[in-house]
Amino acid sequence: MARLIRWKALVPLALALAALAVFWMLYLDLAVERAIEYAGSEIVGARVDVASVDVRLTDGTVVVRGLEVADPDRPMRNLVEAREIVAAVELRPLLEKKLVLDTVAVRGIRFGTPRRESGALERRSGTTGAVYQRVSSWARSIEIPALNLEGLGTVVNLQGLSPDSLKTLARARALGLAVDSLAGTWRAQLASLAPAAELDSARALVTRLREANLRALGIAGARRLLESSRAQAAALENTAERLRALEEEAARGLELARTGLNEVGRAREEDYAYARRLVKLPQLDAPDLSTSLFGEMVLERVRPILYWVHLAERYLPPGLDPRTRVGPKRLRAAGLTVEFPRKETHPPFLLRLAEIDLEIGGRSAVAGRYDGRLEGLTSAPSIYGRPTVVSASWTSSATRGLESGLRVIVDHVSVPVEDSVQLRLRGVVLPAVTVTAVGAQMGLGAGNFSLDLFRRGDQVEGRLLWESRNVSWEPMAGSLARQGDPAAPVGSGAWARALVWRTVSSLRNVEIEARIWGSLSAPRLGLRSNVGQEVSRALRQAIGAEIARAEQRVRAEVDRMVAAQVREAEAKVAELRSLAEGEVARRRAELEGVRQELEAEIRNFARRVLPD
Amino acid sequence: MPVIWLKLVQQLVKALNSDGTPGQVAAGIALGAALGLTPLANLHNLLVLAAIMLLNVSVPGAMLGWVLFTPVGFALDPLFDSVGRWLLLDLEALRPLWEEVANTPVIALANLNNTIVLGSLIVWLLMFAPIYLLARYGVVQYRSRVYQRLRQTRAFQAIQASKLYNLYRLFRPE
Repeated sequence: MARLIRWKALVPLALALAALAVFWMLYLDLAVERAIEYAGSEIVGARVDVASVDVRLTDGTVVVRGLEVADPDRPMRNLVEAREIVAAVELRPLLEKKLVLDTVAVRGIRFGTPRRESGALERRSGTTGAVYQRVSSWARSIEIPALNLEGLGTVVNLQGLSPDSLKTLARARALGLAVDSLAGTWRAQLASLAPAAELDSARALVTRLREANLRALGIAGARRLLESSRAQAAALENTAERLRALEEEAARGLELARTGLNEVGRAREEDYAYARRLVKLPQLDAPDLSTSLFGEMVLERVRPILYWVHLAERYLPPGLDPRTRVGPKRLRAAGLTVEFPRKETHPPFLLRLAEIDLEIGGRSAVAGRYDGRLEGLTSAPSIYGRPTVVSASWTSSATRGLESGLRVIVDHVSVPVEDSVQLRLRGVVLPAVTVTAVGAQMGLGAGNFSLDLFRRGDQVEGRLLWESRNVSWEPMAGSLARQGDPAAPVGSGAWARALVWRTVSSLRNVEIEARIWGSLSAPRLGLRSNVGQEVSRALRQAIGAEIARAEQRVRAEVDRMVAAQVREAEAKVAELRSLAEGEVARRRAELEGVRQELEAEIRNFARRVLPD
Repeated sequence: MPVIWLKLVQQLVKALNSDGTPGQVAAGIALGAALGLTPLANLHNLLVLAAIMLLNVSVPGAMLGWVLFTPVGFALDPLFDSVGRWLLLDLEALRPLWEEVANTPVIALANLNNTIVLGSLIVWLLMFAPIYLLARYGVVQYRSRVYQRLRQTRAFQAIQASKLYNLYRLFRPE
């Protein structure tokens, strides 16, 4: 009989395992490098490059050199670049496939540096950059009205306005059809309920009960009359119940019809705005003008803020439920990898403390040198039990004494999650803003910037404020036409552009305030600026009355086109109301009256048959 | 591609005609199937490899099992994924077990929390006995019907004379 163990293979096996271990040790640096690049690209949605990684398991340190994270928006620039990151790694959690970093020192961190080659990803997986794509999709959905001054001097031409393009008509038609359908259904139900024959029969029974002669009927006849009367009363009760249900249904339908009417009203407001744009009639309200002037700039600044909030939402989830992610990249299918977080164990990823020596180059709003600190960054906040805190303070000698700082708290320990961001920059050179609408570069000079953002659960509220008292305006090359012609006829587009340019270029104090609020998935954006107010005031002063008259004409034309259809819809809703609140109620009241009368006579009759 | 086919034939010839008993060859094939059915670079395959080398089973048989079951593994990935999802996500009763596995040193490195790894490993364990029995039956049938004619051919003699054959003899079942 053959032996079970092949002892002579023991030495080759040990040699093979040793060779494997040596190969793993040699390959480890490269494996970690590739893992950082792959995971980073998955999160950011752009290339993440690492120059080299040095894993020293005996010391428990990992040194990452030359980290470059490309900007998904601008592939030839880096979002962030770090010269060297030195991490102290706890070794035991590695055996549980967890990464716990006690301390991390980041040196030579820079933002917005140019790249030698594009950072766009050649191939994206289904999940690559999902957060970035979601935020970009929101940004694209924000409508920034163009500052259109061409329609000022032209005669308002309403020829292009077609009824087919008006939402009011479509909504009024749809409402009319829905109301017709409801009314038809209710009428049919009403006809099947409480028919005249049933009521007549009940009334006849009332009369018979009232005039019944007990001697003539006899005991058996009286019992039969009583039973048939009770059966009739029960049938009436059943019908009344169905009528009540119909009445409730009618009330709900009527509410829907009223909502439909409100929607028609809103559609008409949208049609006014559409018609105004069609005839190139400019909007002179200050908030709209501010949005036209600075909407793009604000959106560009808000987008990365929301991106980081969404990123925290995705990668720092609260709770201890199993979490799934796409498995590792390999020839075989990746499958799903499921994490099972558990209290009193290590989180899959934990960075206890990172100290950052931060330098932001260029002339951006936050250029200079910082000292930063990051505490408790973890992929399982519920296990760690404390919020992630990021703080940075200004250490540049150029601005010593001025209060500038950043504080971020990401509290995802429990539901609802709470995030807060507070950034204060005082006396820094704010970056110039391209104001495309007037074809100029607005140099904000030294000024202040503040950001306050609070998020609780799904709700987010934030405010960004730029303030400067030293603003300069430079026409952009090749866009002189946008500054208009002061000599052009009053009311013409060129004249209006010149007026706007004169107004803005004389402004030295500028304040731009942006607010975001609402749900995190689709927050609303509001803008206010003294530039918009000044432009609005100047335009209103010069041609406000003419614009108001032109706007009245536009509104009148829209009203003319939709009036008949809207009136018809309103009439149908009124008819529906009369059916729901009148006819159905009247029928039920009539039926209830007969039923009560019948039940009263039944009680009287029963007392006559059985006096005690 | 021709090299792969040549290797396959070589493994086939070696496995089926080795000095091992049909049971040893079949056990080799059943163990080698793990290397083909489950994603290769995982901790459990290190154990399977050690078992192939240390246990008195046919090494060429294991290599044959690996080669034969690799395409099967690729083809059955959707099935493995479903089995893995069912075990990891749908079966609430197993949740404490997976929590324990995911938080136990070394065991956590086995990637058993991946649907493909777990699904394929479970399917292989379930299929071990059927693969073994089928392979043993096949080897017995082959040796009684085909082998005697095949050993007279030049190709067979050339393989026996090769250096690879000498290396193989080191792991030949005893």
